[in-house]
Amino acid sequence: MTSSTPTAPSPSPAAAAAPTTTTTTTAAAAAAAPPTTSTPSKPSKQQQSQKPKPASKSKDAAAGGSGASPATADGATAQLTPAELKKRAKAEKAARRARERAERDSGAAPGPAGGASATGSASTKKDGGSAAGSTGGGGSRGLPRRGSAQNTSQNGGSGSVSGGAGGAAAGMDKSAGGAEAKNKKTDDKNVAVFGHLYGQQRRTTIAGAGKEVHPAVLALGLQMRDYVVCGSSARCVATLLVFKRVIDAYTTPMGTSLPRHLTTHLSHQITYLSTCRPLSISQGNAIRALKLAISSIDPSTPEAEAKAFLGEFIDSFIREKITVADQVIAGSAAQKIQDGDVIVTFAGSSIVKQTLLLAHKQGKKFRVSIIDSRPLFEGKSLARTLANAGLDVQYSLIHGISHAIKAASKVFLGAHAMTSNGRLYSRVGTALVAMSAKERAGGVEVPVIVCCETVKFTDRVALDSIVVNEIADADELISAEPMQQLTDLPDPAAATVSPADAKKGAKSAAAAAAAAANAAAESNTVAQNVSSPLTGWKESANLQLLNIMYDVTPAEYVDMVVTEMGSLPPSAVPIVHRMSTNL
Amino acid sequence: MAAAISTSSDVAKPFDIVATYNDLLRSDPDLTMPIAAIEALVLLLTHSPSSTISETLDLLEKSTAHLKQSIPNPIGLSAGTDLFQRYLITTLQRPGQLGPAGDFNAIRAHLLSNGRLFIRRAKESRDKIAAFGRGFVRDGSTVLTNGGSRVVASLLQQAAGEKGGPSAVRFRVIYVLSPAKGDVEGSSAEPEGMEMVRALREKGVPVATIPESAVAYSLGKADVVIVGAEGVVENGGIVSRMGTYQIGLLAKAMSKPFYVVAESHKFVRLYPLGQYDLPIEQRVIDFKTEEDVADEAKQQQQQQQQQTQSTPGVKSPDSHDVVDYTPPHLISALITDSGVLTPSAVSEELIKIWF
Repeated sequence: MTSSTPTAPSPSPAAAAAPTTTTTTTAAAAAAAPPTTSTPSKPSKQQQSQKPKPASKSKDAAAGGSGASPATADGATAQLTPAELKKRAKAEKAARRARERAERDSGAAPGPAGGASATGSASTKKDGGSAAGSTGGGGSRGLPRRGSAQNTSQNGGSGSVSGGAGGAAAGMDKSAGGAEAKNKKTDDKNVAVFGHLYGQQRRTTIAGAGKEVHPAVLALGLQMRDYVVCGSSARCVATLLVFKRVIDAYTTPMGTSLPRHLTTHLSHQITYLSTCRPLSISQGNAIRALKLAISSIDPSTPEAEAKAFLGEFIDSFIREKITVADQVIAGSAAQKIQDGDVIVTFAGSSIVKQTLLLAHKQGKKFRVSIIDSRPLFEGKSLARTLANAGLDVQYSLIHGISHAIKAASKVFLGAHAMTSNGRLYSRVGTALVAMSAKERAGGVEVPVIVCCETVKFTDRVALDSIVVNEIADADELISAEPMQQLTDLPDPAAATVSPADAKKGAKSAAAAAAAAANAAAESNTVAQNVSSPLTGWKESANLQLLNIMYDVTPAEYVDMVVTEMGSLPPSAVPIVHRMSTNL
Repeated sequence: MAAAISTSSDVAKPFDIVATYNDLLRSDPDLTMPIAAIEALVLLLTHSPSSTISETLDLLEKSTAHLKQSIPNPIGLSAGTDLFQRYLITTLQRPGQLGPAGDFNAIRAHLLSNGRLFIRRAKESRDKIAAFGRGFVRDGSTVLTNGGSRVVASLLQQAAGEKGGPSAVRFRVIYVLSPAKGDVEGSSAEPEGMEMVRALREKGVPVATIPESAVAYSLGKADVVIVGAEGVVENGGIVSRMGTYQIGLLAKAMSKPFYVVAESHKFVRLYPLGQYDLPIEQRVIDFKTEEDVADEAKQQQQQQQQQTQSTPGVKSPDSHDVVDYTPPHLISALITDSGVLTPSAVSEELIKIWF
């Protein structure tokens, strides 16, 4: 699967560089929140009561919050009594989000104490409040939403459940807090505008995955999580190939038929995959097509035959929708490249790479300017590949966009998805590149060309990058390659953390515990890089990091969408989508 | 719509598609390029001895390529040839008597009759467009138009021709005339739209003629801009005679509605990204030094002597018939025989035809 990744596997989080990050201080958020009275003491009291006995707290949350009961699920088993274990087992078929949260809890569970162990899974726990809030935990506690969310972040596993109750209540009871709430807000690590996106947290281990999940799927999930398999088409192809193996390994249980049961079996795999990283549009479309194919099988068909049919279906889907489609797109997009062109591209789209290589093979003389950005640096391997192929390549980061666009004559972009209002949903930074190309001061307009397979078309509509997006682990922004420093300066991290701790007053104990856990944290928390000033960002007040994955480019900034069905204006996307799904 | 008349009619082959095409264009001034191309192809099929489908398609493809190469500006033409080819393929793929299993002679007869039907319909489409577009010419309004588009002419004439009826439209026309055949130095030849100007004046429509340089000046007095097109491209933009783009830009700047009148057989499967992305070579911007000018002057003198001797009035094909591309965001609507479309609806129509 990894070999088939068109987009370069990005360097692991540890390879990020420079301390320039998307930071958002809570000051604005605090100002926006209604400064009101009522229940100032409640949150802290609760917090104190929660801290010493997290296990019992989660238990009573499970019993109390009716809506939240499935959420407790199988994960927390480690620290529960056998009687409760049974109860949890029943909740196994919980909704996806609830499951996820539970699994997160499980990831944190093995730690020494509830409160401290939760930090093990980095930023995971902080979203507990918002996630649970949306599931509607039906709690009666009048907690302010944000206060409760941060409460959870302090209290780890148990906190996320109680936060759910509080978060739900917060909808009605916005008035809370006063000084106390403000104080808590400073500690919130979720960027408020994107609060709704924190719900989907990425799985950190394969522990807690259902027994139905195929080992290949387990592996793929983690590969996708770590961006080893990255890029919309690559993920789609990898998923389909893995599902082929799942189907091969599948035997229909007694008393049911393949078309009826296989879809549920697959949805276990899909649920697992989506907890590792939210599914891409192309994955969603492919899965939908596969499920349709499964349900179209006659139940009386022998199993072997049905499996062979599905295997063939998957193969032909990959061939038609991606492999051949890519060739067609590269062919027609390469026609648009002329001698003397300067092509600007952003990050590392596999289809753009194919296009540029093809145009080069056709003997066209042109230069390529690759614009890249942190933290994934997908453009690096594109630059390497193109340079190796003999192309003239210039590589710069996104902050050099205005310089890079000056010489540009065309912009080629890859896509994560094209929405039905003709907008381009792609790696964050794409919109900036497209806009720079269109609004280049004083120059001729630079055509912006998007290369996109129709499998990436969606009937969803995107108006902005806020409503639908994906948030990656904010820690990816911090970790930087240790720069070689010749002049030895005092470590800035130490200076920033300590005053923050001092400010926190009542919570300093919790923070200290969290910090300790952070240091001892297992698995994915990146090797702490002392040189980065942001290292202790979770403990420092007024500091939030935002690591957003995608953005939306308005249709006006896109001149042409090259698909395997021809070149279209962005306004024709819904028509083609309708046609390609009906066929 | 300046007909591309390149006189390369040396009839060496038994059937010369290029010559036929040019003859057709010359014989019928109402004929548009795509229709002439289709008619030429139909004639080709009647003359061809081919007896199998693949042979027919092969012949078609070859002569289409030949035709496209021999015409300086094949954009309008390719709309017709592409459409015909597409039509042929879909007809042949259809199951039944006319499908691959059927008798080829029957297929051929069917094709020919349908081809003729198609041509007749295409000619009728002009009236249809005029009916659709009449509503855009309001009483008391002033229309600014350019070029020698026959569709625009028929639209305006129809609007004017409603005399006697209760709803006689009284409108005025500002006609942008460009010097004939792109000759900058000005020649005695009549500008392209004069015929239409006369026809309109005859019908009692007040017509003002202005040079292209006065468009910006006059646009303030106009209520609506209506232009013709040589080809309508996939993104809803148009390829049309040089000067349309600037009128579009000015109309946009002055927020006057800019309507394009075009038959739906002029929809081309082409997606230009800008002025310089058209699949034709145009020597519009030609940098010269004094030396080059001197050289050219010598050549031109010789040429002119030859030309005045042989074919007076007809200049070399590349000196006229230049086109530009008007992007879709400048166009308010396209008035076609399949209705009044927004530019973005054009791609929808094209996709419907092609898939």
